[in-house]
Amino acid sequence: MATTRVLEWLGRLYIWLLLAFLYLPIIIMALMSFNVSPFYQLPFEWTTEWYASLWQNDQLIAATWNSVEIAVITTIVCTVLGSAASLALYRYEFRGKKFLQALLFPPIAIPWLITGTAMLIFFFGVGIGRGLHAILLGHVALALPYVIVVVSARLQTFAPELEEAARSLGANQWQVTWRVTLPWIMPGVIAGGLFAFAVSFDQFVVSYFLATPGQTTLPVEIYAAIRKGFTPEINAVSTIIIVVSMALMLLTARFFKFGGEK
Amino acid sequence: MAAATASRSGLRSALPLLAPAYLWLTVAIFLPLSAMVFFSFMTELPLSGKPWAFTLGNYAAFFSQSLYLTLLLASLRLGLEVTLWCIVIGYPAAYVLAKVLKGRSREAIFLLVILPFWSNGLVRIFSWAMVLREGGILDTALNAVLPFKINIDLMYSYPAVIIGLVHSYVPYMVLTCYLTLQAIDDSLIEAGRSLGASRLQVLKRVIIPLSMPGLVAGAALIFVPVVGSFMEPRILGGRTGTFYGTVIEDQFVAVFNWPLGAALSFILLAVVLVILAAASPVLKRAA
Amino acid sequence: MRMPDLTALLTATAVFTSALAFAAKADEVHVLNWKGYGTDEPWAVEAFEKATGNKVINDFFNSEQEMLTKIRTNPGLYDVVMINAAFNDQAMDGKLIQPIDTSKLPNYADISKDKAGSPMLVHDGKVYGVPWVWGLTALAINEKSFDKPPTSIAEMWDAAHKGRVVIRDDAVEAVQFGAIATGQNINDIKDMDAVKTKLTSLMPQIKTFWSSENDWNQMVASNQIDIGTYWSGSADRAKTHFKLPVSLVVPQEGAVAWLDAFSIPVGAKNVAGAEAFINYMIDPKFYVEWVTKVGAPVSANTKAVEALPEDAFNRKVMGDPEVAKRIQFQAPITDAQREAYLALWQQLKVDVK
Repeated sequence: MATTRVLEWLGRLYIWLLLAFLYLPIIIMALMSFNVSPFYQLPFEWTTEWYASLWQNDQLIAATWNSVEIAVITTIVCTVLGSAASLALYRYEFRGKKFLQALLFPPIAIPWLITGTAMLIFFFGVGIGRGLHAILLGHVALALPYVIVVVSARLQTFAPELEEAARSLGANQWQVTWRVTLPWIMPGVIAGGLFAFAVSFDQFVVSYFLATPGQTTLPVEIYAAIRKGFTPEINAVSTIIIVVSMALMLLTARFFKFGGEK
Repeated sequence: MAAATASRSGLRSALPLLAPAYLWLTVAIFLPLSAMVFFSFMTELPLSGKPWAFTLGNYAAFFSQSLYLTLLLASLRLGLEVTLWCIVIGYPAAYVLAKVLKGRSREAIFLLVILPFWSNGLVRIFSWAMVLREGGILDTALNAVLPFKINIDLMYSYPAVIIGLVHSYVPYMVLTCYLTLQAIDDSLIEAGRSLGASRLQVLKRVIIPLSMPGLVAGAALIFVPVVGSFMEPRILGGRTGTFYGTVIEDQFVAVFNWPLGAALSFILLAVVLVILAAASPVLKRAA
Repeated sequence: MRMPDLTALLTATAVFTSALAFAAKADEVHVLNWKGYGTDEPWAVEAFEKATGNKVINDFFNSEQEMLTKIRTNPGLYDVVMINAAFNDQAMDGKLIQPIDTSKLPNYADISKDKAGSPMLVHDGKVYGVPWVWGLTALAINEKSFDKPPTSIAEMWDAAHKGRVVIRDDAVEAVQFGAIATGQNINDIKDMDAVKTKLTSLMPQIKTFWSSENDWNQMVASNQIDIGTYWSGSADRAKTHFKLPVSLVVPQEGAVAWLDAFSIPVGAKNVAGAEAFINYMIDPKFYVEWVTKVGAPVSANTKAVEALPEDAFNRKVMGDPEVAKRIQFQAPITDAQREAYLALWQQLKVDVK
């Protein structure tokens, strides 16, 4: 099958082109973290001063750790709660289900600016206040709809006969879910988790409203910095994050299978 | 067939699974947004200490000035264009990822696609400015290759907004389509082929219908936030970067008119929901 | 069911985190200001902390309205807040700031009389704001694009600069700029149609609307623009600190001037610390160091300005009596005016799309 081979080859080429498109700005971001000019000015002059000053910038480092922590907790909470909810929406039929599904869209559709303002007022009003706990509360709520939509899309491809078959072999509801359904939707759950992490980690509007002076996240620091004090330290910290997460991801890919291999 | 399993049990069985997620959403989003709905019917913000009254004026403002409708249409067009580009670019990539690549390399690439997401959105936009501007990387690279001189200055234009948004959102499409494409049994495709169907027919009759849920989910996750986006248009669009999302932002940030800003966003939400509702039967029929 | 158990655990985690939430301490001074605007300079914070034993904690805002919201929604959190004089009224009316006992501020006596006595800051003989620095929203040019600096605002409309002009994305600033270009008083615009016509003809010239100092500096560093509106302090910083080819032009038609001042919010927990901090901020020693190391607007303290070298920009250009005659200080703007300006500005931006 010569055509098949040519098509496969073209497919691979296409993936690499897409990756090139996706990574173009990332590479520039990384290059500029080694450039002397804080205004991305060319010609390029090599320096590591931004990494050195980043090392001294306790505030930025603390904010980065806050972001990582919040994103990790958000990811865990969202994948658990989101998968459970998707399962319920898939498995059971009840009145008001369509409404519950439609409710997932306001958090995505309303610009984050409005959601953030609304959260600030409401949290202030009911005494939740501002700070890392409020940011976490907000991030989970923002990322949940994404997880539910993504996991639900995966569930649509699930064959209910599999559950029936397992049940007829004497498995109880919990075993069916754990042994049959969950492995099938796992790629969806992983993808949902990756979404949740991204939504939280890059979320600046809502965090901005809910952060307090001592408790901020990286995007909040960056947003405040572009007003006056933007320096390539931001590029430096972003580059470190990308390189570390790339290493972690490739390591994960090396040891786990989660792409839904059959 | 799903209905047979589904109707067996009702809300009572669903509740324990649903409650945690929806309770969380209620406390952190639905209640705050309800407060905003309330504000959108007020003349003044209670926080400002001024006397206030109920009014429909904030919603009437949308219809009394042609500006808002013009911008809403421009934003909807932007959402549609970005979504289409994401389908055109993302769907084939998802197909290759799900059906052509095998083994470890697939997992690695799957992760590589989502990784750019984890960099900061603002820094990404600044980097695009480096690429797109006159004398930027695209301009320089093309002039180095091409025998004739061209001037590429895409920065501060509508195409720049499209490029920036497609870059940010195409991974959504790749991932959601991948999830449903990967679930299609290869034997179905082979069966189709052995029965004499051409590649195109298999694509049209088997692959696209079966992967539809992923395509729809991806499209919704892209279209909905892009219509309300304000940061990318503002920074990359320059003079042409005024959209519905940016006027909402102005109401909140520049003049502190939250009631009007909130009313404008709920109109946006209503329009988006109507579009999703109208599109769903069409998409179901296509599937 | 296992799910709810897990949820309970996670909720407990969230509640636990909230117990660690932040509380203001007595020997801390919480400052609210623009980022990178003097109060958060590490050397200054260090010197102040060493001298007084107070710890400085900075928080930032990105617009005046946001600043007011932050004070409103965090009563008792901030001790010092930097407020543009034109917004002082609004903060005072909202009972957000308290009168300041200027006898506790030794440097207050050196503040220039016209600024200290500004009716925007003093109400019923009580001082609600201590003038800190002032500056201009004027024009700045990319030196590479001009042999000789222009003198007139009309340069912005010159066809030679088409697509290389910038203006800030701010309705009030745009309208007041239009007022100056049409020879009107910025605080009492009589002929709004003239402003609109003037700005409409400017729109096709524009490359983009800038929103931060960083935007401006990036564009000039990559030689994408010729001329645009800019803040005096930023233009000076771009030139002296970042070595960019930028210079400020105060056009013969005039320029908009603004005054920034410090206030103490109602319910501040550390008023003594706040007073010490404000006094330090208007001290000549701090000011000279700020100008030299970073670049800054003009101090309201006359002794501080006199402490600068004679040819310093803030002394020579900004202190020039000819310049003083041309500038117009921004007065408070009502909400209705602000909304009308925004409506006009949005319409202009949509029309040019």
